[in-house]
Amino acid sequence: MPARGRIAFVAPRFAEGDTVGGAEILLRRQAERLAAGGRPVDFLATCARSHVTWANELPAGRRRAGNLDVELFPVDRDRDADAFRRALRAIGRGRWRAEHEQTWLRHGPRSEALCRRLAERASEYERVVVGPCPFALTVRAADVVPDRTVLVPCLHDEPFARLAAVRGMFARVRAVMFNTPAERDLAARLYGGGAPRRFVVGIGMAPFPVDPDAFRARHGLAAPYLIYSGRREPGKGTPLLLTYLAVFRARTGRDIGLVLTGAGPVDAPPDLARHVLDAGVLGEADKHAAMAGALAFCHPSRRESLGIVLLEAWLAGTPALVNGRGAVLREQCRRSRGGLWFRGYAEFEEALLTLADNPALRAALAEAGRRFVLRECAWERVEAALLSALAA
Amino acid sequence: MTEKAGFRIGAEGVDVDAVAAQVEAAVAEKARRGAYDDPRLARARRADLLDLDSSEDLAAWYLDSLAEAARVDINDFEIHERRARFGRLLVAFKRLIWKMLRFYTYRLWSQQNQVNELLLAALETLERRSREKTADLEARLARLEGGAPPPCPPADE
Repeated sequence: MPARGRIAFVAPRFAEGDTVGGAEILLRRQAERLAAGGRPVDFLATCARSHVTWANELPAGRRRAGNLDVELFPVDRDRDADAFRRALRAIGRGRWRAEHEQTWLRHGPRSEALCRRLAERASEYERVVVGPCPFALTVRAADVVPDRTVLVPCLHDEPFARLAAVRGMFARVRAVMFNTPAERDLAARLYGGGAPRRFVVGIGMAPFPVDPDAFRARHGLAAPYLIYSGRREPGKGTPLLLTYLAVFRARTGRDIGLVLTGAGPVDAPPDLARHVLDAGVLGEADKHAAMAGALAFCHPSRRESLGIVLLEAWLAGTPALVNGRGAVLREQCRRSRGGLWFRGYAEFEEALLTLADNPALRAALAEAGRRFVLRECAWERVEAALLSALAA
Repeated sequence: MTEKAGFRIGAEGVDVDAVAAQVEAAVAEKARRGAYDDPRLARARRADLLDLDSSEDLAAWYLDSLAEAARVDINDFEIHERRARFGRLLVAFKRLIWKMLRFYTYRLWSQQNQVNELLLAALETLERRSREKTADLEARLARLEGGAPPPCPPADE
């Protein structure tokens, strides 16, 4: 019999410092909440910080991080990174064969040492929480004790969600914790609505004080600006946002800038570059101040399972403008009444003009978004759902 | 309850579906007036194409975009001149050139329109057939599997 109450969390990376990743942050916060409630929690992750290189940058071994016992393991060195990248590209473009999937599993970032340790201590764990979905490590870890595994898929509507290995993992695990009803609906569409047990849990958020003028004053920003926070990469839609805003400025003559926080390169079109402020990775207080001073928080990604930064923006008192081609962010805006959405450039232009010209609308959207986060992301509600999922 | 610029703001906040419908209506009206017949939009469309590369929506989006652009406008148009100096003279000159070339360009563009329409119709038909065939295969696969998900391949070597 497993020791009563001990939980293992397994993620490809441990969210700390400038390791930016919504899923990793979500898993860490859930683990911390359980630990704060008196549950013994182990957090197992790899030594990697970068989701691109998967280099072992952090020292392997056990240590204490906040109220968590964290153990880091090296990413396997025998993987063929080039073959993995080729498979990743084929799958990402939606044109893959069975051998691409096998290569993805065989040569994806994984850690035999981590899976071995998980197997050795499996009898101690009441539940093993693994996520997010599209990683070979997650598939492997979910196979160690599937009947006690709870999957946090952070599912996106993307080719990786259609891999047989991911579909199989969904069928084998004990329970699944989704971040939003829209993500749960996506899983029902992809894998059917039956077993395993499914819960919408998400993440708890606490309100924070913020000064809307502080960031603007510090950086001498006179013009209104949009803000995006998070990884800057094609999968997150940042090239789309940069292009759209450049076209918007050229067509409308409106002086609206862009502030980006987070990690990754910013390849702004030349005619937009001097209107973009790349603030890099900021502390939480600075990031929230930057959000609070913005005209709107723009999330251009189609592939989100939650959008923690969107929730933070609402708490900072900023309305949202999201890519409506992704069901999750669009439904978040619809449920909260906290933002507008666009499905192409024309709607982006019109929605942004609407927001820019209507301060009362912006204030009403922001207030509704804030109320939504305080209601839906209250830790009490999230913790109750989390405990239900673990007890199922 | 306050109302400003057509947006009703009540105790529950704003009906964002209504605002989204207004945005869509404004876009449709502007499209009808030709506000998006703008070469600068090609950049945005290219960004869309890259963003949708792996999406199942790609074919539908691409065909919609193609349908919008396929028919070349061969009607007469208002001739302008941005330069103030000799502006009227230049406009008159351009109008003269247009009158002289119109018969020839009409012939060319109407032929081009025929080709575009045929290509678009062919692509739409091929896309529809492919979609129907895929749906049929998926339905057969689901029947063969009896509703159960396919087995997972071995995760390890």
